[in-house]
Amino acid sequence: MTPEQKMTALFAAETVPARDYAFQAEVVARIARHRAWASVLSLVPWLIAVTAGLWGLQPVIGAAADQVGPVLVPVAMTLTLVGGSLMAALWLTRRLGRA
Amino acid sequence: MALILSDADLVTAAVAGSDAAYARLVARHQAAVRGFLRRMLGGTGLAAAAEADDLAQETFVTGWRSLRALKDPSGVRAWLCGIARRKARDRQRSLRRAATRDGSWLEAASVPQGVQPEDRLALTAAMAALPEDVRACVALCLAEGWSHGEAALALDLPLGTVKSHIARGRARLLAALGGPDDT
Repeated sequence: MTPEQKMTALFAAETVPARDYAFQAEVVARIARHRAWASVLSLVPWLIAVTAGLWGLQPVIGAAADQVGPVLVPVAMTLTLVGGSLMAALWLTRRLGRA
Repeated sequence: MALILSDADLVTAAVAGSDAAYARLVARHQAAVRGFLRRMLGGTGLAAAAEADDLAQETFVTGWRSLRALKDPSGVRAWLCGIARRKARDRQRSLRRAATRDGSWLEAASVPQGVQPEDRLALTAAMAALPEDVRACVALCLAEGWSHGEAALALDLPLGTVKSHIARGRARLLAALGGPDDT
């Protein structure tokens, strides 16, 4: 075998397979992680703005909450109970329907 | 009948937000980018291959993030290899240590018929000893079969420089494998 043929054979032997699904899946997973982080980071300015806004409106919101609080608490409790019951009923229906 | 989209079509779709289109670009060019990086980083051991593949994954993520900067969508393969080359340069120093560690694996690795394990070692050592520009040209044109023009585009080198690098690199590799050294 000539040096030229050896070189060609060695290069050919080290060729990467044309299809590698594990590699492709890892790249897609890395991109998904980057996209998730980018989404979280893009929400940070909004979070800061909302926090600052609420902090600025605290005197107004606090006073309003004191006034409507006694009325809203029973309503919120009722809604929570109704919502919880509906979800439990839905879950039971699905569970029993499967059995 | 499956529709075969061109690289330019896939890049356009990926820029518009299609992850599926980018995944197809990855599938299409992963072998070229990984092969190029394995030869650039040196060694064919398992650890070296894993390092090169890790860098190839980083290359594709970087490509995805800066896809809008790609001027010629049909040249996406060369563009990705350009990114890969810059990343390989950054990681080269730390991998030089690993190359020594992989020596024993290389000795035991299977080689093509008619080739001795020593030839593989000699070729790997000769590749590692080439200057970075020359090694990149050899990896793309001699090992991956790229045209000189495409390598010049990927490596951002003049065509004449690519040709002379390939001639010089080829002579050194052949000399390492027992041929005459023309340099």
